[in-house]
Amino acid sequence: MQFPHPYRILKIINKRFRSPSQWLALTSIQGRQVSAITSPVVRGRKRRRDQLTLAEFLVFVVPLLIFVVILYGTLIWTFYVSLANWSGIAANYEFAGFKWYQSLFNNIRFWVDVQNNLKWLILGVIPTVFLAIFLAYLLELAPFPAIESYIRTLILYPVAMSFIVTGTIWSWMYEPKRGVFNTILSALGVQSQLTYTTNPSTATYWLILIFIWQYLGFAVIIVQSSFRTSELQEMIEAATVDGASKLRILFSIIIPNIRSGLLVLVSLLLISTLKVFDIVYIVTFGGPGISTDVLSLYMFIATFQQHLVSMGAALGVIIFLIAFIIVIPYTIYALRRWFE
Amino acid sequence: MKKIFALLSALMIFSMILSACAPQTVVQTVVVTEVVTQEVVVEGTPQVKEVVKTVVVEATPEPKKPQLIIFNWWTAPGEREAADAMYEAFKAKYPDVEIIENPTPGGGGVNQRVVLQARMTAGLPPDTFQTLGGAELKAYVDAGQLEPLDDLWAQLDYANKIPGPLAKAVTVDGHPYVVPLNMHIQNILYYNKALFDELQLTPPTNYDELVATCEAIKAAKPDLACIGLGSKEKWGDAFVFDAVFMEEAGPADYVKFYKGELDPATFEPFKRSLEKFQALAPYINTDHAGLTWDQATALLPGGTAAMTLMGTWAIGALEKGGGWKAGMDFGAVTFPQKPERILLFHPDTYGLAKGAPNPETTLKWLEVVASPELQIPTDVIQGGLFARTDIDPTEFPDPIRQELMQYVRDNPDKLILDQHGSIAPSSFTSEYWNVIASFLVQPDVNATIQQVASLFQQFNVKDASAWYQWP
Repeated sequence: MQFPHPYRILKIINKRFRSPSQWLALTSIQGRQVSAITSPVVRGRKRRRDQLTLAEFLVFVVPLLIFVVILYGTLIWTFYVSLANWSGIAANYEFAGFKWYQSLFNNIRFWVDVQNNLKWLILGVIPTVFLAIFLAYLLELAPFPAIESYIRTLILYPVAMSFIVTGTIWSWMYEPKRGVFNTILSALGVQSQLTYTTNPSTATYWLILIFIWQYLGFAVIIVQSSFRTSELQEMIEAATVDGASKLRILFSIIIPNIRSGLLVLVSLLLISTLKVFDIVYIVTFGGPGISTDVLSLYMFIATFQQHLVSMGAALGVIIFLIAFIIVIPYTIYALRRWFE
Repeated sequence: MKKIFALLSALMIFSMILSACAPQTVVQTVVVTEVVTQEVVVEGTPQVKEVVKTVVVEATPEPKKPQLIIFNWWTAPGEREAADAMYEAFKAKYPDVEIIENPTPGGGGVNQRVVLQARMTAGLPPDTFQTLGGAELKAYVDAGQLEPLDDLWAQLDYANKIPGPLAKAVTVDGHPYVVPLNMHIQNILYYNKALFDELQLTPPTNYDELVATCEAIKAAKPDLACIGLGSKEKWGDAFVFDAVFMEEAGPADYVKFYKGELDPATFEPFKRSLEKFQALAPYINTDHAGLTWDQATALLPGGTAAMTLMGTWAIGALEKGGGWKAGMDFGAVTFPQKPERILLFHPDTYGLAKGAPNPETTLKWLEVVASPELQIPTDVIQGGLFARTDIDPTEFPDPIRQELMQYVRDNPDKLILDQHGSIAPSSFTSEYWNVIASFLVQPDVNATIQQVASLFQQFNVKDASAWYQWP
């Protein structure tokens, strides 16, 4: 049985859809690998380069098909369900148009969620990146060389924990009456009026703080690894010889030269903040009231508590669109820079 | 290429070996070949001859063990024991039935719904599953996932064994669909007895007395929260609001309101209730938004709250979790008691799933669920009241439930569906909890009224709740 060679498929894609395939920075790498693995001469018999044996088809194309069907198939299916009239336990695929989108746009809760998601996107990413740069530089300067590796481990620890665990711990620490923060403050003689996650107007920010704490170590490692290029090290050395101050080195030399690392870091953080669910679910469950609610939590509640499956699907589509508009182009751009 | 095939075949052989090593529990047909020495007489001379004899021993297929596939969400401490008591009662009657349980952790049934919904949509229903009455049950009936149980109910005469409002809460269009095994009461005010004795207070029976009591407590103990509330799951706020609203509206209009027959914008008692609910805010613990119901209940033995409004399930939490004794350390009154003493309730029930793999066993199970042999041990452990009114109330160890059960026996018509097995559909109720919870932290009476009015319209509560009849 003969199938077109995957390399040829990629070539066709490349020819027909030149610009979108350029988005996928990995395409060329993949193409090269494929051609390297399958040499044109198999079993001593000369075979056309663009043909595939059954085994090759099974190994290369089937996983790709499964991936495409599961990912994009369910994506299309979700969009289809969001246009149906499925409210209740039994499936109902009767076409209802954009009814659920309309009812979402008329819903105060939806707009609170969108606002909160934007807060997460902005405040979850920018402070983490800056703190990570400072911390990474601090570690790089190695003020305590003997315990540096311990500090690094310590900073990386939070990433290893699940959000369920950290969320629970932080919700205990945040308790206004018995929590550790206010207890320490009152032991220091400060009568703390901080109410943390129980105050509807500030609760989201306290939740974002948990996220920053958890992701900081991970961010530091990525930033630090991008310090390790020989050119950058040479530049830093030269600047040190010239007598530049440490801060000057950071702002004038390091930050402009670690752009590719920062791009990857920002895109990973953007994805993580956009899909935030667990912290909110564990610490506040969207409360007080709906003040910390996010789209993903609303999607869960709409689908499984309210039985409004089509509305849940519509929320899923909206989350996807936000990701598509903001995150995905940025990520592709960043990844391309990384591989350049 | 050869390598890949070699690898694949090696993998296959390996998996065969693995499966061959697995213990074989299946009784198979066995072919036994034996060599038998036989004496054969041939023409007068006895001769010894070896004869190969093949005996085929056919295993009789083992009779299929009857099974019961059951879904429930009783997995928390206290609930787990109750579930075990349930199975014990069933096993006592039908020892050879194998119970296959798919417990899903997480109370309130949200997680269970996720799994159950997925299985039902996939056409893999269990035999029976736990569900509340009211709107929750109605959703399963509308989806065509429950069989009507008219014959079973007639056979057991169950409609006359349980209070009328309970029967109505599980009956849709004249057909009963499930067998309730208990009743949970929502509107109970638990209070710290030692504190009340110390301050010489009597438990409040209406809103004004509640405010007066809270004022007295606040004057004597400024650090103590009068009402302990946990509103993280959102329904906690609705419990307190319902108590206020019940007094303002009265039972008949309370039911009409949640059936969507009244306009919140023009229905004055709703507005008044919101204002009164808002006035309670200073007496409520400030960290309520971060607490679940059990954490809020624990504030009483913890000494940081004087009272809490919670369902019958809090008795177990106070006794087991707080080490308190009912009637000694804490007391309980239903609230409000004026103008009428109404009990807001929801049942736990089991039904027969449509397409159940073992319908006969399930009917046996439901028969046991309806029996006092199951209800007594299960309900005593789990915390609700008995569904049957012919069970002696003194079966309960605590005076609180003894008194409640006696009240239900004497006044079976004073029961109304509560927030959980609600009158209005769950699509409405879930959002309604959010609105009430938001109101408590950011009070805006007119905006809240508008929101509630639009929720009634959006989820078409009037049509969706028309099935519920009260009284």
